[in-house]
Amino acid sequence: MTPSALEAVEVEALVTDRYLEALLAAADRRADDAPADPALDPAVRGAVLRLRDELVRVHPSFRFEERLARRLGEAAVSMRLAAAAGADAAVIPFPTGVPGPDRAPGDPFAGRPVDAARLAARRPLLVGGAVTSAALSLAGAAFVAWRLSRGAPVDPFARAVRLARAARGGRDALPGGLS
Amino acid sequence: MFGQRRGGAVAGAAGRVVPLDPDRGLVRAAQADLARFDALYRKYLAQVYSLAYHELRDHHEAEDVTERTFLLALGALPRFHEEAPADAAPEASTFRVWLLRIARNVVANHRRGARRRPTAPLEAAGALAAPDDPQGRVLARDEASAAWAAVARLPGDRRRAVVLRFVEEMSTAEIAGVLGRSEGAVRVLLHRALRSVARDLAARDPAAREEAP
Repeated sequence: MTPSALEAVEVEALVTDRYLEALLAAADRRADDAPADPALDPAVRGAVLRLRDELVRVHPSFRFEERLARRLGEAAVSMRLAAAAGADAAVIPFPTGVPGPDRAPGDPFAGRPVDAARLAARRPLLVGGAVTSAALSLAGAAFVAWRLSRGAPVDPFARAVRLARAARGGRDALPGGLS
Repeated sequence: MFGQRRGGAVAGAAGRVVPLDPDRGLVRAAQADLARFDALYRKYLAQVYSLAYHELRDHHEAEDVTERTFLLALGALPRFHEEAPADAAPEASTFRVWLLRIARNVVANHRRGARRRPTAPLEAAGALAAPDDPQGRVLARDEASAAWAAVARLPGDRRRAVVLRFVEEMSTAEIAGVLGRSEGAVRVLLHRALRSVARDLAARDPAAREEAP
């Protein structure tokens, strides 16, 4: 298309657009039609009026509307709960043993063979809500290590249990060493 | 179906009149409390559904697209902000434009999926409508409309531009925002679409042929 032809189309398009805008404004005034530029193609004007009258908005069924409203409400609640549990989650790539072109020199994983199964299992790590449970696990491990390092417990109840077991001795022992 | 124009306007920092997004209050309320998204959902349900229906011509597929559009919009709402490209009009950054842009993308994805999973033609579905099914009767009546048929025969973006203009009552700037094109390109799209529709109607409708100059 030559530049002059392109310009002609753009001018015609502007004329059509002005008529469409005038028709929108006419609808605000409850008018049926709007004055058109004489340059506007009457066939285009006729098509505009016909589309205005015949292209209608379609509404879905009430049942669908209510079902989707419920689903959106449930989704909103779950999003709120997720936000309350640590909303600012981030996806962080988890390091694997798969060598890649972006692996830095000196990386201990560099040069390892590609493991297809591990490659398939590679997943990003979600950090955010998961941090809390990870911290609890670390605290639990530290507590067990501390208990083990303290030797025998001094708890009176534990001491009584141990004494009772010693008093029974081999008397109640079952064959096979079960007690 | 042309109706009421939307929104007010405020003077921008440079003295330029910037149209207010009429949904700004509702959007902010929904961003603060997602349960209040319901108001936006009720307001735009018919528009999203209509866009999907005019694109797909199937009520069940339109429902599917509508559902996915609103779920995606709800998920992305906390990140929504009014921001149009530098060369676009401020109207191109409203919630409505953003929502219909999501709907347009969902329709495109749905079409791609449908091409991979071909099903029975739409005419067959229309013929199955029960005689006591009002929705089926409306569908049959609508499908018989020459104007609808002419619009349905338009290629992709021309059809979308016509639907956004006549069904959704969007301005050129808003359509440009939904379609990701310049306002000039949208004007030309619409003009060419209307010429095609005029030719199509004249060819199929003897009355129109007689009226035509």
